[in-house]
Amino acid sequence: MNIIVGVADLKVSNDPLATIVTYSLGSCIGISIYDPVAKVGGLLHYMLPDSSIDKVKAKNNPSMFADTGIPRLFKTAYELYAKKQRMKVVIVGGGQVLDQKGFFNIGKRNFMELKKIFWKNNVISDFEDVGGNANRTVRLQISTGQTFIKNSVTGEKIV
Amino acid sequence: MNALKQLIKEIDSLKPVPQIVNKILAITKDPDSSVADMAEIVMYDPMITADLLKSCNSAYFNLPRKVESVNDAIALLGMNHIVDLVLIKGCSANLKKKQEGYGLNEGDLWRQAVSCAIITKDIANKQNIDNQQMLFTCALLKDIGKVILDRFVGDSFTKIFNLVQKKQISFREAEKKIIGIDHAEIGAIVAKKWNFSPKMVYIIRNHHMSDEKAENDIATSIVFLSDIICMMMGIGVGHDGLAYRFHKNALTLLNISEKNLMEIIASFGGKMQKVEELINGI
Repeated sequence: MNIIVGVADLKVSNDPLATIVTYSLGSCIGISIYDPVAKVGGLLHYMLPDSSIDKVKAKNNPSMFADTGIPRLFKTAYELYAKKQRMKVVIVGGGQVLDQKGFFNIGKRNFMELKKIFWKNNVISDFEDVGGNANRTVRLQISTGQTFIKNSVTGEKIV
Repeated sequence: MNALKQLIKEIDSLKPVPQIVNKILAITKDPDSSVADMAEIVMYDPMITADLLKSCNSAYFNLPRKVESVNDAIALLGMNHIVDLVLIKGCSANLKKKQEGYGLNEGDLWRQAVSCAIITKDIANKQNIDNQQMLFTCALLKDIGKVILDRFVGDSFTKIFNLVQKKQISFREAEKKIIGIDHAEIGAIVAKKWNFSPKMVYIIRNHHMSDEKAENDIATSIVFLSDIICMMMGIGVGHDGLAYRFHKNALTLLNISEKNLMEIIASFGGKMQKVEELINGI
């Protein structure tokens, strides 16, 4: 059973039959988290780094921004008895168009904000497939905790 | 060269845009035209009226009551929205299919077209641009060339892909180098064949800024930027990934800061689900 995470959305599950999937990340970032003991996994697909751009939208949909979406992803998983120290964390996305350099580089800004939040909260990522001009899709299989990454440039890999 | 001829021939196989689209574009260009002129065109087109009410009643507009007649629709939504809906419907015919060469599933190109048109309108509105419906139509049809080029891109995909990766050029540039023509050029040929104005032909040809001078043109820059925003949001992105060039000057021309860009993304992100319902209803 596929549980689909839309753009600016997150899903958490402990259903062993479920696969959580998010398509076409572009400059957005997908964070897949999984606790192998509790067998709980979650996936967030956020669009922008910082909620200060639109407080109302952040309140209505925290998953749109890194600073509101990331804490919510972890907290929702904790509700299903996942523990931070056991969590496998995979970061995917943050693509950029050619010639962006530092300008208007939303993909890079999205990733930098994530790093900042992770650092503050003592979270270390286990695998990152970030940047470049690739488009990516992520699947998280709840029964095994395997994360399947489809990258338009480098192909598919399982983490 | 033979392939090129064959390609141009394939343009004839496209379903032409209905007359009403050209009529609307002519009216929006005419400074003496009125809302009544527009209403007359819309109200008496049977192709349009049948679907119009369905679209008006979609969750996208969130109306307080059900729309039951075209008059009703105009009163509740305003002529501006009605015309957008007619243009969306009118441009839909060729864009819904799967484009295997580009790695686009059924509906992907169409979703990109409508999303890009809505963002274009948003930006044009903020910039106080005249003739927004013309820009809206360009945004809807800018990738029509992909429909023609799809099979050829599929056949030469490895070559195009390798060229993009090796030389770090855009996917459009690689199309041009390998196939001899790119999707923006084909789009311009189609636009010309459909009797669109020279301005529209120019915008469609340059929606990836093939001619760098297009960075100085506000209308082209708006469509270009909307397209880039869709890429960033992963809308309608296939095997070509995000391999298109960014042109900072276009944003400078529009006086759009990084913060503005994020606001546009947040604003569209907030209504993506509703856009999906609108698209599914057409």
